[in-house]
Amino acid sequence: MIIFKIAFRSIFRQKRRSILTALSMFGGFFLSAFFIGFSDGSYNQIINMFTRNNLGHIQIHESTYLDKPSLYKTIRDYEDIYKKLQSIKEVDAFTPRIYSAGIVSVGEKSTGVKITGVDPKRENIATNFNKKIYEGDVFSDENSYEVIIGKGLAKILKASPGDDLVVISQGADGSIANDSFKIVGLSKSGNELEDRITMYIPIKVAQELLTLQGRIHEIAITIKKLNTVPEITELINEKIGSDKIIAEPWQAFAKSFYNAMQADVEGMWVMLVIIMFVVAVGVLNTVLMSVLERRREYGVLKAMGTKPGDIIKLILVEINILAVICIALGSIAALGINYYLSIHGITLAEPFSYGGMYFRHMTSEINLRSFVIPAVIVILSATVVGFFPALKAAKTDPAKAMRTH
Amino acid sequence: MFYLKLAWRNILRNKRRTIIASIAIGVGLASLILTDGLMIGMKNNLVESATSTLLGQAQIHNKDFRITRDIEKTIVAKDDITRKLESDPLVTAYSERIVSLGMITSPSTAESVIVYGIDPETEKELSKIDDRIIEGTYFGENKGREIIIGSKLAEVLEVTLGDRIVITVAQAFGGDLSQEMFRVSGIYYFDVKEMDNGFAFIRKDKAGTMLNIGNNIHEIAIKFSDIRIAEKKDLSFWGEYSTGNNEAVSWITIMPELKNILDMTDISLYMMGGILFFVVIFGIINSLFMSLYERMFEFGILKAVGTRPSGLRKLIIFEAGWLAIVSIVIGVIIGFVLHLLLIRNGIDYGGIEFAGTFMHDKIYPVMNISQYMKYPVFVFIFTIVVGLYPAWVAGKMKVTDALRKSM
Amino acid sequence: MKNLKILFFCLTLFISVSISIKANDDPKAREIVNKVDELYRSGSSYGLFEMEIITPHWSRKLKIKSWSLGKEKTFMRILEPKKERGMATLKLDREMWNYLPKTNKVMKIPPSMMMGSWMGSDFTNDDLVKEYTYLEDYNFEIIKLEGGDASHTYVKCIPKEGLPIIWGHIIIEVKEKENIPVSQKYFDEKGNLMREMYFKETKKFGNRVIPSVMELIPTKKKGKKTIIRYIDAKFGHKIDKNIFALRNLRKRI
Repeated sequence: MIIFKIAFRSIFRQKRRSILTALSMFGGFFLSAFFIGFSDGSYNQIINMFTRNNLGHIQIHESTYLDKPSLYKTIRDYEDIYKKLQSIKEVDAFTPRIYSAGIVSVGEKSTGVKITGVDPKRENIATNFNKKIYEGDVFSDENSYEVIIGKGLAKILKASPGDDLVVISQGADGSIANDSFKIVGLSKSGNELEDRITMYIPIKVAQELLTLQGRIHEIAITIKKLNTVPEITELINEKIGSDKIIAEPWQAFAKSFYNAMQADVEGMWVMLVIIMFVVAVGVLNTVLMSVLERRREYGVLKAMGTKPGDIIKLILVEINILAVICIALGSIAALGINYYLSIHGITLAEPFSYGGMYFRHMTSEINLRSFVIPAVIVILSATVVGFFPALKAAKTDPAKAMRTH
Repeated sequence: MFYLKLAWRNILRNKRRTIIASIAIGVGLASLILTDGLMIGMKNNLVESATSTLLGQAQIHNKDFRITRDIEKTIVAKDDITRKLESDPLVTAYSERIVSLGMITSPSTAESVIVYGIDPETEKELSKIDDRIIEGTYFGENKGREIIIGSKLAEVLEVTLGDRIVITVAQAFGGDLSQEMFRVSGIYYFDVKEMDNGFAFIRKDKAGTMLNIGNNIHEIAIKFSDIRIAEKKDLSFWGEYSTGNNEAVSWITIMPELKNILDMTDISLYMMGGILFFVVIFGIINSLFMSLYERMFEFGILKAVGTRPSGLRKLIIFEAGWLAIVSIVIGVIIGFVLHLLLIRNGIDYGGIEFAGTFMHDKIYPVMNISQYMKYPVFVFIFTIVVGLYPAWVAGKMKVTDALRKSM
Repeated sequence: MKNLKILFFCLTLFISVSISIKANDDPKAREIVNKVDELYRSGSSYGLFEMEIITPHWSRKLKIKSWSLGKEKTFMRILEPKKERGMATLKLDREMWNYLPKTNKVMKIPPSMMMGSWMGSDFTNDDLVKEYTYLEDYNFEIIKLEGGDASHTYVKCIPKEGLPIIWGHIIIEVKEKENIPVSQKYFDEKGNLMREMYFKETKKFGNRVIPSVMELIPTKKKGKKTIIRYIDAKFGHKIDKNIFALRNLRKRI
């Protein structure tokens, strides 16, 4: 206990030295906490925007659909599943889809397409579908024989809103599915290749066309908090309670995107290590100097009978108290800035786009690890770094020590 | 200059203090240099991986071909273009290709596939197919019926090396179907679904005959002498080769997704760089203050024996300057050594598949002179700037106060 | 897929083929194949048949009428089921059109679609269009088959090198006396049986006796089968040229 008292008094007695030591610890902690909060924040922001505006956070399919999609692998009692989803409060929205392939023809031109049946209302609520339409309009109602085609597709067919389009595909009963539609809108996804083959029709119409009454291929779900995806996925699977129909998180169905994000994250870890190393060296510098400069003082203490072990303890306790104070202050500062940035974000000089969405701000987020990781590093480096000079100070011959300055 | 020499001697006098402080600052400098190199290396790695798999850093097509993929829209005046490319100093390698949608049939099944007619020798420089062959060979002596497909496609077709397959394409000008028999001569593996499943490679002249376009081609893939060249939007290259009805575009146009990822990476790297700067600044402040404040007593004595405030200030600033120089030397050495080490071994990333390409598994930092100039200069200037405050304080200080300070 | 070509050939697309006798094969075997070939050949033809398609997910029966003139012109019309009634296909030389009554659309099949399925069946559009060059593309020899029917002749057809054929060999089983095909089996180069075709229920149509039922089974694909049953057929009679015109596609039936 007396060690603590002495340590405290030492700290406050030599304000300047303490402040300098504290500065490097505070600075290191604060910057690292800010960095982690910010990079986590922007990373999650991108994931959120991407999944939310496109694929959803979680998707439900027939169990083998993702691996090998097929017209025949359908979900049948989806109304039931809707009810179950509605009972989970973390679920924000969900929307059904049907997928097929076919040929479309406008005038003399024809080409192959991927047909997607969507629920106009739900799709817009869940994934901002209407925002994708850059020309023309949305579906007038959910039973209308209207199509929205991708930008590249419109180019290949030389078509625009108002034109008639014929779709030919194969129904789930083997019959030749064909019907005429009116093009009401053109859509852009940001992926050129996709826009060349993309075509949307109302899902009820798709069910008619493809003889898939009462069946769909996919339910895309958006949830409130990105980091709860794993638990909610499990919860949904429990509620569905069948191994024929399963829910999977975005990491499973947006593998390409996930990998891109992972690549980013890995890169950041490398950088974080560098930053942390520099911080540790900074702490080392000040602590080392501080301890070494006070050898005379420790010499006196020893001469007075203080045990070497206690001297080590004294030094380490002093360092750690300082570290804790810095972490506390640093946390407040980091909390402040991360909070501010989580709401306002940093506006980018040049907005960049990914997957068809524009990012204008990068936001930060407040999370536990942005505090824990830097805190651990600061305390660890301070303690480790303080240990060796402490050892040396403890071993010094008092007479020698007092002779130096 | 007297004070310059004195400052230098002061620095040397307390070796331990100087060494500790300069190492701290030096490490900061080294990290700035290294991070810069890694940032560049990371971005280059990204672009390199994506473009060297198959697509190339830039492509030349007939303007109408890129979106519609109409096989009749071949490159205009191809020979003029290739002649120009041969002598273009920016271009290290180029490869001519025929690209067409087609069907590939085996006794088990038929699949649609994108058929590439390539010139094996030049293609080696542009794409990685030859590096990823896991069975068979990459176009050996010209036997004519060689075809190389991905492992996933081979699996779906249930074929292995030496098996027969038939390629069907629609001819240009008439639309007749053209069919030819090939024998699987090589199987490649990228571990990327799209690559392993969607392509088949045959010899260019064979493709030309099948498509009835003779010597004409659809695409020229290009590799520049420096990977960053393609990102320059105002390069004269684009205009020069977009003559006739052709267009030359960079990978940014062909793979906008990659550009997006690059931009994202850019932003996060800049953030990190910014933070690193602050960390280093903190380090400098710390080190400098520590060394100077300890010696207030000493400075008090100097003042007592008659040194003028301005002289004292000069001394402190010069000491800061010398410290900076020593730190810079140490930092540059550390940075250089680490740079060399990493350039040898790289930082391991593991393999990651995304956007239809395969990322290299190692990042190598990129060294350049400007790193070794701008960062040391920054450190030097900043150290001096930081030294101004204690210098001013020391100059103003009353002698008696200084002498009373015993740390 | 060559087997489908053969199937179609046997059905109603009567293409006159120039026969050239090649060396390096058994002339007797070639003659047998030629005779089988001739069974379905004619300058003009008419057929009414039923196509049953069976897959693991669904099965359907189509009733189809078809006409052909020479090897260039073919017209086919679907009569049943109701959903597809009125759909038609016209082939003139190398070009092909489909008509879909529901949308009243005549669609030219783009070259890229030629390998796509015809009207949802197992046939490709290309099968209708390609010239039948069976006799030119293979060498034939008579073989003895272990466990086979002693009263039947087995001809092994080996594709000539360099041709776009994926099969290793084909074995045609013929009833010796009447030269009526019994089965056709397709093997890959490793000798695995990949496709089987069976000819059954010989009937007399006009002055010809031919198997009226053809069954096509892709051996490796479980639950898939296509069966064609002839209800009526005419050979070598006079056919109205106007059938093979675009406007005939839209005709109400």
